[in-house]
This record gives sequence, C-alpha cells and structure tokens, in this order.
Amino acid sequence: MPQPHLKRELGLLRTTMLGIGGTLSAGNFVIIGHAVGLVGYSIVPVVLICGIISLLTMLSYCELSAAIPKAGGEYTFVKVAYGGFISFVTGWFEWLSNMFYAALSSIGFAYVVSYIFPQINLPLTAVIIVILFTFINVRGMKETGTAETVITAFVLAILGTYILSGWSYTKEISISLPSSPIGLIGIFAATAYLFELYLGAEAVAAAQAEIKNPRKNIPRAIILSAIVLIALYTSIVYIAVKVVPPEVLSQQSSPIAFAADQLMGPLGGVLVTIGLAIAGLAATNEAIMAQSRVLYAMSRDGYLPKELSKIHKRFCTPYVAVVAGSVFILILTATGFINFVVYAVNLGFIVGFTIVNFSVMKLRKDAPYLERQFKTPLYPLTPIAGIATSVFLLAFIEPSVLILGLELSIIALLVYYVRMIGYARIRIAFGGISLGLGGFIVFLTYLMRNGNISLSSVSSEIATIVLYALLFVGVVQILAGVLNVTAPSRD
Amino acid sequence: MKIRRTISRAIGLMQSLVGGLAIFLAFLCYYNVFDVQVMLGFSIENVELYMLVFIIFGLFSIISGLFLFYEQ
Repeated sequence: MPQPHLKRELGLLRTTMLGIGGTLSAGNFVIIGHAVGLVGYSIVPVVLICGIISLLTMLSYCELSAAIPKAGGEYTFVKVAYGGFISFVTGWFEWLSNMFYAALSSIGFAYVVSYIFPQINLPLTAVIIVILFTFINVRGMKETGTAETVITAFVLAILGTYILSGWSYTKEISISLPSSPIGLIGIFAATAYLFELYLGAEAVAAAQAEIKNPRKNIPRAIILSAIVLIALYTSIVYIAVKVVPPEVLSQQSSPIAFAADQLMGPLGGVLVTIGLAIAGLAATNEAIMAQSRVLYAMSRDGYLPKELSKIHKRFCTPYVAVVAGSVFILILTATGFINFVVYAVNLGFIVGFTIVNFSVMKLRKDAPYLERQFKTPLYPLTPIAGIATSVFLLAFIEPSVLILGLELSIIALLVYYVRMIGYARIRIAFGGISLGLGGFIVFLTYLMRNGNISLSSVSSEIATIVLYALLFVGVVQILAGVLNVTAPSRD
Repeated sequence: MKIRRTISRAIGLMQSLVGGLAIFLAFLCYYNVFDVQVMLGFSIENVELYMLVFIIFGLFSIISGLFLFYEQ
C-alpha cells in the first residue's frame, strides 16, 4: 500500500501569490509609522534598500531551490550543505520565526480590524483566526493555495487602487538619504527595523514538495514576488509621505489607512483597512503552512519526534506538525506579547538568511555537479553582500533581542544533543556542569564571607540573606552534580 | 536503590525550584519589581547581563533537576 505523501498542486501564479501573500502582513503596514518617525522623507530609499538587501538573499534561495527540490526550505538547503547541528539550528530558528510571524500576523489583523470595529476583543479575534487557518492547513494545500491566491489578488487590487490614486496626487516631495532626523544611524536603524517588510516570500521554498516543476517555478516565483513587493512597498510609502507629512504619519496607529483616508476620503481609509486586514489573514495562513513544513522535515530526519512527520491519509498534509505548531502560535497569540514576537521574527530570519548565503558558497565548492537551473548572478559577490548586509543589520537590533537569540540557541543546543547523543552522556555532562557551578558558588560565598568581595551597596541584613542563599544553592548544585554523574546508565 | 531514588527526587526538586526562582528573579530584576535592582545593588546598565546569567542558570538547573527527579 503506497504511503500518503505531499501532492504537487501549485503552479507559477499560485506559487508567486504564496510568496507575495506571505509578505503582505498587516503588521508591516503598522510598523512603517515608527520608521517614518526615524527617517522622515528618507523612508522611501530606506524601503528600497531593504528590498535590495532582501533580494540579494532571495537570489541564493532561488539557486538552492532549483538545485535541491525538497520540502523544508532553508533547513533542507543547510542540511545538504553542512548537515548536523548547523542545519538543526537553521531549522529551529526557521520554525520559531514562522511561528512568531504567524502570531504577529494574526495579532496585526486584530489591530487593523479594531480600526473599524473598536469594540472587538483583540486576543480572542487573533486566536479565532489562528484556529481557522489551522483547519484550512490541515484540510490540504489545494485549499491553502486557493485561499492564498484569492486573498492576495484582493489585497493587491485594493493597494493598487491606493497607489493609482496617489500617483495622480500633485504635491511633490524631495527625497534624499541625509534627511533623516537622527542622521545616518537613524537610516541604518530604520533599515534594520523595516527588514521585516520583505520577510515571507522565502516561505515559497519551504513548500517545494507541493509545487509543480519546482526547479523552474520556485526561482521564478521568488524573483517575481521580490520585484512586485519592492515596487509595491516603495510606491505605498512614497505616496504616504507625499500625502501626509512624516511627523503626522509617524503618530498614526495605522499610517497607510490614515494616508488613504486623506487621499481618497473616509471610504479609502476603510477600503485600505479591509485590504490590510485581509493581508493579515494571508500572512497568518502562509506562516502556519511554512512552520508545519519545517517541523515535518526536521521530524522526518530524526531531530524531532517521528509523530510530527505523519501525513494525513485523506488530505495528504502533515497534520500533526500543523496542529503542534499551531498550539504554540495560539499561546503566543493569546498572550499578546507583540514586541517580543516582532524582535524574534527579525532576528530569526537574519540568522537564517546569513546561513543560506553561506550554504550557496559551500555547495558551489563542494557539490559542483548539482543540477542548477538557476545560478546566483555575480557569484560570489551576491551571497557575500547578502551575508555582509545581514550581519550589519544585526548591529542595529536591540541588545535584549540578541540575548533572546542566545537563549533560543542554547535551548536548540540542548534539544539537539538530547536527541542526538545518549541520555547517560547528557546526564554526565549536566552533572559535571552542576559540580563546577556549585564549586564556584561555594567559593564565591567563601570570598564574600571573608570580605574579599564586598556587598557595600546593600544593607547587612540583605547581604547575610544573599550569603546563605548562595551557600544553599551551591550545596544543592554540588549534590545534584554528584547524583547526575553517578547515575545508573539506561542507554 | 530506593534511598538513592528518594534523595535524587528531593535534590532534583530543589534544583528545579532554584532554577525556577532564578528565572523569576531575572524578571524581577529586569522590570525592577519591588525595587529589586536597588535592593541587590545591580547597576541599571548591566541589568540585561544579569537577566541573561539568571535565565541560563535557571534553565540549566531546571533541566538538571528534572533529570534527577525522573530518574528510573
């Protein structure tokens, strides 16, 4: 009896719509307001620069998608190029980023809808949207692709109307890079902040197993999506600052809807709000699909439990992965930690983009025999530029977000080693660290007791409590270390 | 073996609790709940570093403690 598998149902048009739809998140049109506050009229070249930076890495995606037509996106590419821990970390961050992106899109949808219906419950609305698109994704790719195509076409029609109205607006603006209110640093900060605008198109690569003739259609769809998005976003922000002064625009909760209101009247504002709300739906759908495919691929390779790679007998979808990821998305959505979610999305994708560019270079060197129906132009300058710009953007991400990234990397390391090496060896490693930590804490307590380290800035009562607490923690760590190191093996 | 299992459970529980408290303390410090930063003499510019150290220590302790608690 043949095993159920993923069906190839998506052609070039629907694949391109998948790329565009995944990128047009409602949240993107809200964060433009903050960026306008940073750079003023220079928002237009900043959006263009973001698009070009994104395009550099998209070309690497094109080459890898054409050479390695398997489900999983970045994770699969890096697995072929590097394997082991690096591919696991890439998949891990890709999965997390897509989950965060789904949560962000659904919350963004709720916020945009509240512009028209202020009485709605924001977290509840977002949760309902996640449940709805989980069901659609379990039902199958055909439904997903069709929903995506219809939604994206509708949003493009509304945004097209806004752009056409805007081009006929007669007021002219002057755009130059140094016009940022806080100088060049502001330009870079806005570029790092708006990097999120173009995220989502690469998710096309994650759905390779469902795309017809993937070696040709995926590179074409990714490039088409990128070009359409650069033209679209640049036009949208150009018209927004042409109609509304930046200092006014930056104060709006929904800046593009406000600009449409000024340009086309109240009906225009409502129309664009509807368009952005629908864009939020499309992006949520896309991100739920993308996270499930990464989870499916990682499970298939043994990094995660096998149950996650189960395919539904009737719908031919990785339903366990869809539902498992959606549970996390629902929790994130219900908490409403929007800032946490935005930062995590940006960091995860920057890490992923950097590794993808490295993978292109490694595979060119190690696997020249791979059939590449698309090759990155100006190689190796293009992937090197992609890496340089991604690393540069990292410097402008908030330090607290980088700490979050480090913590997520540590968790990834633990998950990987727990899966890949024996239970007994992990326990011995933990035991050794516990012993070391415990010894260090006890030594620290000894130094504090003898006055070698002083707690001069706190009262003597607090210092005594800290001393005894540290001693207790040190002893617990040492005992735990001894017990873990001497644990009976069960491998 | 029964005595060892009992000790492992007790120490594992304590280590996990210590880990949980460390993470809780990290958030107390970060958001300066009950003026914890002043109470413990933490400088504001290093709060993120303290938070990182506490969270890593906390996660490590929780996992290590769970290994002991669920020892077969």
